[in-house]
Amino acid sequence: MDESRKKGYDKIEFVNITGEVKDSFLDYAMSVIVQRALPDVKDGLKPVQRRILYGMNNLGNYANAAYKKSARIVGEVMGKYHPHGDSSIYEAMVRMAQPFSYRYPLVDGHGNFGSIDGDSAAAQRYTEARMSKISMEMLRDIQKDTVDFIDNYDGEESEPVVLPAHIPNLLVNGTTGIAVGMATNIPPHNLGETIDAIDAIIDNPEITVTELMTNYLPGPDFPTGGLILGRSGIRKAYETGRGIIYNRARVEINELENGKHEIIVTEIPYGVNKENMVKHIADLHRDKVIEGITSMVDESNMNGIRIVIEVRRDVQPEVLLNHLYQKTSLQVTYGVNMLALVDNVPRVLNIKEALQAYIDHQVNLVERRTQYDLNKALDRAHILEGLKIALDHIDEIIHIIRTSENDEEAISRMKESFGLSDIQSKSILDMQMRRLTGLQRRRIEEEYDSLVIAIADYRDILAKHDRVLGIIKDELAEMKSKYNDKRRTEIVEAASDIDDADLIPVENVMIAITTNGYIKRTTVDTYKTQNRGGKGVKGMSLNSDDIIDQVLTMSSHDDLLLFTSLGKVYRIKGFNVPAASRVSKGVPVVNLLNLQPQEKVVAMLDVIPGPELEDKYMFFVTKQGLVKRVPMSEFLSIRQSGKIAISLREDDELFGARITSGDDEIIIAGDNGKAIRFNEQDVRPMGRNASGVKGFNADGSVVVGMATNKMGEYILAVTEKGYGKKTPLEDYRMTKRGAKGVSTINITEKNGKLMAMRSVNGDEDVLIMTDNGTMIRISLETVSTYGRNTQGVKLINVDEGSSVATVALIAKETEEEAEENEEAVEESSEQTEE
Amino acid sequence: MRGKILNVEKARLHQIFDNNEIRSMITAFGCGIDDEFDITKLRYHKIVIMTDADVDGAHIRILLLTFFYRFFKEVLEGGYVYIAQPPLYRAQKGNVIKYAYSDDELDKIKAEFGEKINIQRYKGLGEMDPDQLWETTMDPEVRILKQVNVDNAMEADKIFSMLMGDEVEPRKQYIIENAHFVKNLDIV
Repeated sequence: MDESRKKGYDKIEFVNITGEVKDSFLDYAMSVIVQRALPDVKDGLKPVQRRILYGMNNLGNYANAAYKKSARIVGEVMGKYHPHGDSSIYEAMVRMAQPFSYRYPLVDGHGNFGSIDGDSAAAQRYTEARMSKISMEMLRDIQKDTVDFIDNYDGEESEPVVLPAHIPNLLVNGTTGIAVGMATNIPPHNLGETIDAIDAIIDNPEITVTELMTNYLPGPDFPTGGLILGRSGIRKAYETGRGIIYNRARVEINELENGKHEIIVTEIPYGVNKENMVKHIADLHRDKVIEGITSMVDESNMNGIRIVIEVRRDVQPEVLLNHLYQKTSLQVTYGVNMLALVDNVPRVLNIKEALQAYIDHQVNLVERRTQYDLNKALDRAHILEGLKIALDHIDEIIHIIRTSENDEEAISRMKESFGLSDIQSKSILDMQMRRLTGLQRRRIEEEYDSLVIAIADYRDILAKHDRVLGIIKDELAEMKSKYNDKRRTEIVEAASDIDDADLIPVENVMIAITTNGYIKRTTVDTYKTQNRGGKGVKGMSLNSDDIIDQVLTMSSHDDLLLFTSLGKVYRIKGFNVPAASRVSKGVPVVNLLNLQPQEKVVAMLDVIPGPELEDKYMFFVTKQGLVKRVPMSEFLSIRQSGKIAISLREDDELFGARITSGDDEIIIAGDNGKAIRFNEQDVRPMGRNASGVKGFNADGSVVVGMATNKMGEYILAVTEKGYGKKTPLEDYRMTKRGAKGVSTINITEKNGKLMAMRSVNGDEDVLIMTDNGTMIRISLETVSTYGRNTQGVKLINVDEGSSVATVALIAKETEEEAEENEEAVEESSEQTEE
Repeated sequence: MRGKILNVEKARLHQIFDNNEIRSMITAFGCGIDDEFDITKLRYHKIVIMTDADVDGAHIRILLLTFFYRFFKEVLEGGYVYIAQPPLYRAQKGNVIKYAYSDDELDKIKAEFGEKINIQRYKGLGEMDPDQLWETTMDPEVRILKQVNVDNAMEADKIFSMLMGDEVEPRKQYIIENAHFVKNLDIV
């Protein structure tokens, strides 16, 4: 130091720049990491958020009290706990009050707290706030020594290091924060689902992430709703703490009366500024990056978001929408990074670790609260014991007090005579005369007895970990019943998500596709059986020119091969088809497959992957009666982009395709009512690119049915006007391929042309739909068997001017289902009147 | 200067020279910059960095040092850059006031004063009256300055690009490896 004096009067110390920078950097980095940007895993709060809630709590700014000026709250928090900028406190508070930022807002704001359009909140001198009901739960029990407190920055006050958090806030509200060298991004979740997952982990600590996802916690739930595309990103995030989630706006496509379409956006992805998004779309339209928008209006109001994008007439709305998803924040990626502080050390957590840390916190909380209650009860019991002794010996006590000079003497004499403690003696001195009444004496007895029971209970809780876990589950169940709400974000399967397969329940599904190319998936029992001749229930809400074309039941995990009129084949999994309700029309197939404008799906086949497929064949029939047989092995590596299944003549189309065993009999029928039966071996196997040979001499008619003998012993024929019958397959004689065939049903004016021909066993249910969407499900046992040359009986009432559009078979239902359906008949008759 | 200055390690040149804080520093130093740099024209031989004694102050300090190192290396090498040492605590007992510049010093003062002392933790320079600031930090008679030296240019270069540069991973690695060395983990 002497040396430095020589340089002047300054005291000079020397520092090396690298040392100075390193030290300062670490000070800063660690402080930001531990004390600013990252949440604690236990309560999911960053320090500023915790201080806001604690400050509001201390102000008595409860959910059931009056609102207070935000500036008062900010002042309280800044002055006592958070010596930083007022704006950083206010901004954090504003976010906690925004229902589009927080899944379950922690602050109940009054006034302008900003909007999803990015408008900022009014200044803190205007707005008011109080705690939300949920944040009351975050702080409940804090006075019961449940959490540690530390001195505040100047040692004048103390503040909690963590809140009791009766709500699993880290996951339900999520968090986002950028520290130094690391950042966190945890998506919000549904409260009920999160609590279910916690219960599941308490019950079975070994539970796998897959089980958690399938049964309890399927994925994040954003306050802004929207869709999450696919499950593999969620799974990766849950398993490793990091993963990418695709969050998409919720849209619907409407057809306008003038034939144009409009895209309506009703929910936008989480964290997206709506105004910026709309502006970006407008910019891309102006710069011709996105083509096909004729107008865009943001009609959002108090009732919700509504952005209407009108589509140019020559543009497919789905194609435009896909461009918007790619180029604008109508779809965003959410990079999950579950970084949180565990005992003040930043750690990336998987979902189980995060939930387990919360459980551990709650265990600690319940134990400390019980210990606190126990101590209180013991203290009180101790005093009551003293009072009881005093009441039992009241005359002697009064004598001691009257003959004592002062408090001290009375206390020491009481202690001596009755073995009382200081506290007990003092309480006796403080006792009011009214305690001597019989009623009051009984009250003391009663209070003491109930305390003894409570003490035993507290001790039992502290001794038994299982009881602590039980209490946690009970309290969480209470939180769930009070605050749970419906999931807002829908998780949909992404077409490319092969990894998702085991996260999706295996179920029987019905895949339906319409003539306009809409496809959907429903669960099988959605359609109810009616007696023959019933009017049927409305199957789908349809455009007047759109009718259901094909229906197929399969397992959701089977491969679905889709053959198109142009002779191409595509493969997807059953669950890749979007699920839809009974009355919705589904989504356009072009969303799933890359189809040409005039290309439509003519056959759907389910293929259960496995070696047994290798000896089988795929059998094709075209509308003009050409047939082709291809070894199945040629179709085992079909991709989504599609492959050629059959080369077609210019004016011909593929009618259908079936899987055959190599020795099946093929039956083909035309709309002229003729049918042919021949062995498939008449047709030699060919490659995928071949065009086939003559199978049925259609004689100008169009093929309306193909079947194999393996599919059933009867031939079901249904005509345009709703007539039909079963005919035994033996009635049809075998011929060589290429013949004109024999009559299968009499074509008359009354029953119309042959509409469909199917092979059946006779015990299935058949689903018949008319072209105006009326649908009936009939048990085939109730359909009579007739010879070939007959007209059949009426199966469905067909309105004047309409006709049967499609016929599909469904496996026989169980008895239990049948019983249900008895009731359903009545219901459905009501429905038809609507 | 107000707030945190630009991190020049991550910024582009035009951003740097558009920045008001940086322009006023260049003007004040008088020695020019880049091609026009001339150490003989430096107007001050003591450039003192005085920031709040909290972690944000530490951050501003390294942002400034980064700027100096990248653009005024000779000024640093010449030993013209100093760091002021504002006190961390003010302890008062009766009319006696003492300042502590570290936690160790505070403990000594506490021991000396015994009970009933009033301690103020300084979070920012703004908490001090002008005369307090003078007597603790600025008065050449009593102040302590730390002179910044560059004794290993290679090492310094590496540290600046690692801690202040674009790449996150090496910085994260450094934090993880050195986290337990932190001297001053602020509670705020």
